[in-house]
Amino acid sequence: MAATISKRTYEHVGKSLIRLDGEEKVRGLTQYIDDLPFPDCWMGVVVRSQVSHGRLRKLVFDPEFDFSGVCVVTPKDIPGKNIVDLMGQDMPFIVEDVIRYRGEPLALVAAPTKALAEEAANHIRAEIEELTPIHTLGEVVERHKAGGTGLDVLAAQTIEKGALAEGFAKAERIVEGEYWAGHQEQLYIEPQGMVAIPEKDGGVFLQGSLQCPYYVAPELMITLDLPLEKIRVKQAAVGGAFGGKEEFPTLIAGYCALLALKCGKPVKMIYDRNQDILYTTKRHPSWARYRTGLSREGTITAMEVDFVLDGGAYTTLSPVVLSRGILHTTLGYKIDHVFVNGQVYRTHTFPNGAFRGFGAPQAIWGLESHIEECAAAAGLSPETFRRKNCLHVGDRTGTGQVIAEDMDPPAVMEEALKRAEFEKKLTSCTHGKPVNGRFYGIGLSFFGHGSGFTGDGERRLKSKAALDLEWFEDGRPGVNIRISSTEMGQGTLTIMPQIAADGLRVSMDRVRCPLPDTRYVPDSGPTVASRTAMVVGGTVFGAAEKLKAALEGYASESLFGGHGVHLDGGRFHCDVTGTSESFEAVAERYLKEKGPLRVYHQFQLPETIVWDQKTFKGDSYPSYSWGCNIAEVEVDALTLEVKLVRIVACYDIGRLINPMLAKGQIEGGLVQALGYALMEKMEIKDGLYDASRMQTYVIPTALDIPEMDITFLEYPYTHTAPGAKGVGEIPMDGLAPAVANALVAATGLRLRKIPITPEMMLEAVMKESGEGLGMLAAG
Amino acid sequence: MVNGEERTVEFPPARRLLDVLREDLRLTGTKEGCGEGECGACTVLVNGETVVSCLMAAGQVRDGAEIMTVEGLERSEGGRLLQRMYQEKGAAQCGFCIPGMIVSSYAYLRRGESLSDQTMRDAHAGNICRCTGYEKIMEAVAAAAERWPRSELAKTESES
Repeated sequence: MAATISKRTYEHVGKSLIRLDGEEKVRGLTQYIDDLPFPDCWMGVVVRSQVSHGRLRKLVFDPEFDFSGVCVVTPKDIPGKNIVDLMGQDMPFIVEDVIRYRGEPLALVAAPTKALAEEAANHIRAEIEELTPIHTLGEVVERHKAGGTGLDVLAAQTIEKGALAEGFAKAERIVEGEYWAGHQEQLYIEPQGMVAIPEKDGGVFLQGSLQCPYYVAPELMITLDLPLEKIRVKQAAVGGAFGGKEEFPTLIAGYCALLALKCGKPVKMIYDRNQDILYTTKRHPSWARYRTGLSREGTITAMEVDFVLDGGAYTTLSPVVLSRGILHTTLGYKIDHVFVNGQVYRTHTFPNGAFRGFGAPQAIWGLESHIEECAAAAGLSPETFRRKNCLHVGDRTGTGQVIAEDMDPPAVMEEALKRAEFEKKLTSCTHGKPVNGRFYGIGLSFFGHGSGFTGDGERRLKSKAALDLEWFEDGRPGVNIRISSTEMGQGTLTIMPQIAADGLRVSMDRVRCPLPDTRYVPDSGPTVASRTAMVVGGTVFGAAEKLKAALEGYASESLFGGHGVHLDGGRFHCDVTGTSESFEAVAERYLKEKGPLRVYHQFQLPETIVWDQKTFKGDSYPSYSWGCNIAEVEVDALTLEVKLVRIVACYDIGRLINPMLAKGQIEGGLVQALGYALMEKMEIKDGLYDASRMQTYVIPTALDIPEMDITFLEYPYTHTAPGAKGVGEIPMDGLAPAVANALVAATGLRLRKIPITPEMMLEAVMKESGEGLGMLAAG
Repeated sequence: MVNGEERTVEFPPARRLLDVLREDLRLTGTKEGCGEGECGACTVLVNGETVVSCLMAAGQVRDGAEIMTVEGLERSEGGRLLQRMYQEKGAAQCGFCIPGMIVSSYAYLRRGESLSDQTMRDAHAGNICRCTGYEKIMEAVAAAAERWPRSELAKTESES
């Protein structure tokens, strides 16, 4: 079967077709949540705590203010439990007792206008007994190093392979390093928005900017005390998400739903940018300490990793971010003795959450910076050290997963090295001695990214897809793809029809993929974890093959006297009669005779994938995408401004469903990674992010873009056609360490914290001896 | 004049042009991304010049001024060309920045500056996109520039 999938040819899959939602987007016709009309809609706001940590003594409603024209929700108005049903179930919707982050909701208010709602909110005051907060990862790591006293652990997991002591005993030398990464804001351009409309049957209809309709609906059941069928969730067009609309929409949906159910009106919330930055999730700040044993020949004998994430105030998704994080802390290398200790600690800040890469960028930032330090310690060039130690077919990962023959991890590195002329350019690096006032360096990173849910998660998830053969509005038959996967810019609405058309063997014009509405779509799982093209795409393909078989059976009986027929190129062919009939004619006949036809298919994870969630041993992902980034940097010796001038990037993301869209994912992801590496700085001041506006949180503009050389090698996923492996997250993974490694080659300085701003560069120079300061003078 | 049609609306002078367009005129193509002139999603043309409509009081727009929003793009050959190139090159992903971005592209091509990577990037530096990395947007603008209709170049000072 494996060979069949990898060798199969396709009509639409693999073509750079223009996106199906492109026309409405360039004409400004796409309706995002704030563009849709909701008559008689009230506007909701959140009354927020102004302290990070404390006990709520009392809410005081200003007796001078007339609250009769507004709706206020406090915990006693919650029909079910005052719990946000994310992991740990430790976060309340509205504070009842302990406040754990600045901005935590104390009450919700809705009114016919936003101005009135805000005015009412301003007349609600809280009496709070303040407690001492922990705000930063710096404080956390200090305590962690001292044994962890006084810290709340939100999640913990280890990975163990072999015996660390044995591995270190074989080492000639030991290399150590610590690597820090800061918060990162998703900064989708469309802010969070949601509308809740109370339904006549006591239920609620929610529409908004969201990634995962089947997160929002079931997660609100215990809060609203409603069965799943009474919580209907529909996706509006999404103006970017990047993980920021994965778990967060449950909060804003809950706020709107609680208000709507109490006041009986539709309630809408659209965050302004300041609120959106202050009171939504961020990428977890991270700290990692690596300790690696090297043999005389430069082989890794043991690797020990201490990996800490700042979880923010509540558990939310941190345990799974930690899982993906620790699984990527050693991924890519063949190491017999491994110990990874992962912890997520609480800080009194907004809960950190999903962001493209989901723990992997933090892990790979540490790993690939450290590998470079190991290479230097071993006296080997960056590429030689990696070639020697990286995973090849047949090798085992840190959890014992065998690299199967359907991929070749280092192939992407070899291709990138060649395209970048890496070895030649390595000789031009300035190593701390500027030429004409500039430092120049080139740096490398090599990495993998697990496709789909961790371990056997995809088996437990049981993703389903449905295809509906039905009448379209134009009165002709067509096929609607019913999946809960969302379009948020990455191209779901285009690649799914490509895949379904190829499964059915018809043309694409009668196949489409509407935005999901839980009333019509089965649960195909969330749109996360680089899983949509691989898992849901595979499921759609399976459903399409089933629909094809059903229609072939029908055509055979009704039109071809029971002789075998096959659907291909949009026509049913019968070899016995030598005649054929069009898909549309058969579909029309079917619909008139029997009515609409729905077929379901469920994703199957191969039995060979075996995973132990307790010990973290086995096959940690169904498959892996691989990547190599090579960065060329120039540093102004006077201003220490770092300019990323060129990126060469090569990826194996499995089969390319739509090369143009895939390349768009890589380009956009690399630019986000550029921001993560060099620009996007956010710290905590008085319990809030100091960069809380677009003016202060600086992301790349069209002027900051380096030359990019992007190529793909295709090693398809071999268990489900068409064989994509996932492209969404991997572009976020490897650029920061490639840049840091290039900076070492350029300046001789090892930067251990991202983002690497000019201020950080100056600090690094100042930390160096007089020699370092001399560097500045030399410029 | 909005997109070639005469529109009459009453509003308090300080009301943001963005709100007048989106709410009073129901031209929801123009987007609000930040409300402080940083992201450029609300970019429109007022008398041919790009403005961020979230920072402009509607009262500043003089009677008889010509406003063009993304919805007005397809009224011109150049606008339709840009729309086609944006699609063909894959320049739109989530699409939320596109209404402002493509209006900036239109203004740039209309100005008829000498086409270079630098002038193209400068002309779009006020429009933030988080999805694309700008590459395919630049490709689309460059492709449109090659075929830009001469009749849609803004008249220079000397010509007018």
